[in-house]
Amino acid sequence: MPRAPQLSIKEGATVRVAGFAVTPFTRRVLWRLTCAAISFTVILVLWQLSVGTLLNAALVATPAATFSKAWSMIQSGELFGHVAISLWRVIVGYVTGCFLGILLGAIIGRYRLVADFLDPVIELIRPISPVALVPLAMLWFGIGESSKYFIIIYATIVVVLLNTAAGVSRTPEMRIHAARCLGATDFQLFWKVILPSAVPYILTGMRIALGFSFMGIVAAELIGAREGIGFLIMNSQMLMQTSQLFVGLLTLGILGLIVDRIFRALLARSMRRYMRADELI
Amino acid sequence: MRQIAGTDWSALRLAGVGKQFEGLSGQLHNAVEAIDLEIRRGDFYCLLGPSGCGKSTILNLIAGLERPTTGEVEIVGPGAAWRAPIDAPGTDRTMIFQDASAALFPWLNVEENVLFGPRLTGKAGSYLPKLKPYLKMVGLSQHAQKFPFELSGGMKQRLQLARALIMEPEILLMDEPFAALDAITKRGLQIELARIWHETGKTFIYVTHDIVEALLLGTRVGVMTAGPNAGIKTEIRVDMPRPRSTGSLEFVDAVRTLEGLIEEEINAARATALD
Repeated sequence: MPRAPQLSIKEGATVRVAGFAVTPFTRRVLWRLTCAAISFTVILVLWQLSVGTLLNAALVATPAATFSKAWSMIQSGELFGHVAISLWRVIVGYVTGCFLGILLGAIIGRYRLVADFLDPVIELIRPISPVALVPLAMLWFGIGESSKYFIIIYATIVVVLLNTAAGVSRTPEMRIHAARCLGATDFQLFWKVILPSAVPYILTGMRIALGFSFMGIVAAELIGAREGIGFLIMNSQMLMQTSQLFVGLLTLGILGLIVDRIFRALLARSMRRYMRADELI
Repeated sequence: MRQIAGTDWSALRLAGVGKQFEGLSGQLHNAVEAIDLEIRRGDFYCLLGPSGCGKSTILNLIAGLERPTTGEVEIVGPGAAWRAPIDAPGTDRTMIFQDASAALFPWLNVEENVLFGPRLTGKAGSYLPKLKPYLKMVGLSQHAQKFPFELSGGMKQRLQLARALIMEPEILLMDEPFAALDAITKRGLQIELARIWHETGKTFIYVTHDIVEALLLGTRVGVMTAGPNAGIKTEIRVDMPRPRSTGSLEFVDAVRTLEGLIEEEINAARATALD
């Protein structure tokens, strides 16, 4: 296995505190956690103090109200239901989008002719955000699940495709020559040299696409859904339930963070041998 | 072409070989022109010339990675009894590149890089017993589990060498493999390469712009004319006993001869440029 990348550890040796060995790495982690805790505390205090004084209490929920609402929604299972349905939509759309994006991107990156024909089309589609496609998706697929999948597949496929194509076409020619001298057929060349060489690009695309698909799902659920985090946010607005609206936003942030961490832990770690030492994500 | 491994071949021949490339502006230019070259089986043939004179093109043509625009690249049987044109890459001609970072597979460790070729054949098992001997031959036994990014420049070239040797090619093509290394590492590898050539008895074709290197390694040295439209200017035999010493009178003499030939080339190129 490749060695773990060296984290930027500042100078300092391992010290012992109450019998525990504290390495520079542990110190760094503790320092960052402390910083984060202080930041959040300051924000929460300022937020709590400003509602009702600087800000209209009818429009901004206090942290206390937000957390108590969140707690009751967790206890009733309501929040979990919304999260589960949104997450499932993202997973289905994202996995499908990644699969199609890698496949198409690989073909485009490998075959000049295909690229020449498809590049103009992709360039035209690229600036159209997933959000802009929501009305069309509902027109085509109704308010059922298909329209959600469509939006997320769209949000995923373009960026994965472009990154895969870039990675595939940038495989060093020398590596291809080396493999051919070692007897690789065109098929082996693609699967054993070109695709592995493109992995760093593909993973970068997939990680960006993960963010996009969360933006896409909320947009889709804002307009045409009866459940999901987007629906929760939109519904709260209509009912003037600001604390519930804040719960929705906070959930989105936390969910996005967790999913990104899981992505890095699972995919980036298992693909580590394909990454250059200096660009581990 | 038929694989030459196992056949009773006697030489590699380039006859009237030219290769044209199309520049970005659309005009054609010759990388090499009318190359006539015969490399005998078992030779350590050094192609010596300045950068941009088409040395790499010649290697690519022999490897079958490129096809000549004119002329023939072929393998010849004893007494010219048969001839087989080279028209595709084959494991009987393996190449070692200057830029090892690009040429190696960074996601495979040393052992896996060496086994890349064997695994393509679908009969990796029959190559496994050779893995350790070849790693030992290039001095990488202690580093079998390391990844390319953990290796020094010299070790990367040793790895390329092992990866090529395990396929037991008849012809080993080398494109300035040590040009990017420091002088000390380079000298160590040159000595080892000469030993490996002697041990394996294979045909080595070695491209370099370094006169001393060509004389240290080669059984014959082909001096190229300056490109474009490059060709072989002269060929000299190097009969000095091995291991060769750069300090011997004979060696210094040979260096002088080659330097004189290259100086002529530089002057000729300057004259053409001034025209």
